Amino acid sequence: MSVLEVRDVDSGYGDMQVLHGMSLDLHEEEIVCMVGPNGAGKSTVLKTVFGLLEPWSGTIRLDGEDITGMAPEDLVRRGMAYVPQVDNVFPPLTVEENLRMGGVAREDPGPVIEELYERFPLLDEKRTAKAGSLSGGQQQLLALARALVVEPEVLLIDEPSAGLAPTIVDDVFEDVRKVNELGTAILMIEQNARAGLRISDRGYVLDQGSVEFEGNADTLLEDPKVAELYLGG
Amino acid sequence: MVDFDPQLVADGLVYSSIIVLGSIGLSLVYDIADFPNFAHGDLMAVGAFGALAVHGSLGFPFPVAVVTGMVIGAVVAVLTNRVVFEPMDAGPLELLIASIGVALIYRAALMQRFGTESQSYDVGGQAPIDAAQETLGIAINVRAVAIIAVTLVLVGALHAMLQYTSLGRQMRATSANPSLARVSGIRTDRVVTAMWVIGGALAAAGGVFLGLHTLIRPRMGFDILLVLFAAVILGGIGSVYGAMAGGLVIGMVHELTPAIPVVPTRYNTAIAFVIMILILLVQPSGIAGGKTSA
Repeated sequence: MSVLEVRDVDSGYGDMQVLHGMSLDLHEEEIVCMVGPNGAGKSTVLKTVFGLLEPWSGTIRLDGEDITGMAPEDLVRRGMAYVPQVDNVFPPLTVEENLRMGGVAREDPGPVIEELYERFPLLDEKRTAKAGSLSGGQQQLLALARALVVEPEVLLIDEPSAGLAPTIVDDVFEDVRKVNELGTAILMIEQNARAGLRISDRGYVLDQGSVEFEGNADTLLEDPKVAELYLGG
Repeated sequence: MVDFDPQLVADGLVYSSIIVLGSIGLSLVYDIADFPNFAHGDLMAVGAFGALAVHGSLGFPFPVAVVTGMVIGAVVAVLTNRVVFEPMDAGPLELLIASIGVALIYRAALMQRFGTESQSYDVGGQAPIDAAQETLGIAINVRAVAIIAVTLVLVGALHAMLQYTSLGRQMRATSANPSLARVSGIRTDRVVTAMWVIGGALAAAGGVFLGLHTLIRPRMGFDILLVLFAAVILGGIGSVYGAMAGGLVIGMVHELTPAIPVVPTRYNTAIAFVIMILILLVQPSGIAGGKTSA
């Protein structure tokens, strides 16, 4: 069953329409990857779902309930979390404080934060370090952990590998997969389309604000047309 | 060039206290609402007259009047934001112009209610403390000591709040990245209101102290506004800790001017600005180095 349902959504910035009749589904315990060229509207989908952009038309449902146009701070309280692509930590705050900010929407986030420290020992070592002093990979990990403090049912991730060294990318993907294994459905964007699809159950290929192809991740990876047009041959 | 004179340092600390209290709110508003609030000086006057009414007309003890003045400052700041600035939903320039209008409204209201004459709080504490005279050789009265002490308490309480409470962390997070703050689940509208409350209350306290140190006049806040801006810019726009440091430096320079040979004392405000420019030439992003209010 769909935990997240996007139906015929138009959206954009100011007067500029980016999404044209966008529809997609995220099922329970699934990883779904959106791929496609720059400007295809992948980030716009996530921002519109998470209430950072007001959809012009269409509906968005979480667990069957209409959440179209709901504010991010309310969506967090309904079990959804979002990791932006850039500026996804609070640089002047410590690692610990960043995680606490991830937990303002829930009562007593302490135990969950301790669990996250156990899962990500790297963050445990850096508890009192300012987030701004962490490396790119560490910040990405912190951003992911911050979103997990609410133990979301649905997690939206915008390019977990953005700007990271290739050696760290695999680690981040591994972390994403682990999060998924614990029961969180994940909708993510990945510029590195092949790598993204490889850890995903299904995929959507977006172009010019709507879905061009969709299907099982393996099928998309093997489709010669998708490969030629969107996966770089 | 400057002879060390403990008297001037004592005077400087009093003036710095007033500037620091005013600068914090100005900096907070600059940070969250992204405009220089020209009504902030007059908000200090609102607090000063608020305390005057509670103490003088209603006859409450002075400390109660100070606290009530701070509450009035906070309420007026929040209401002004709700009624004027927030509904405008405009850019920095429009908000700046609007804030000048708000400043005029505050001042006109004060003049209408209290007249244009200078007034003073009917509390004692103006005679120099003998002990200070004998040991340090400075003339400092109970009022001045109280101003410095209460400012230290307020600044210390603000620091503890910012660093060790959930609201404080949320304020720093919202200041660093408002969008990510909402994404994390922080109700940023409440955080913004809290910032107006703090800025307004501290401005009112600064206004009361300015009235205690000098006289209570409807123009008192407007006259000090440029000095506040100098402190905020010097400290690094949008940084609370920068505003504290900038306020201290500007306040001290302002009062230490008499120690500089040749330069007439009347140039003290100008000298404060010269120092501001000199420091900014070396450190263009201000003392706090462009950091946000963490």
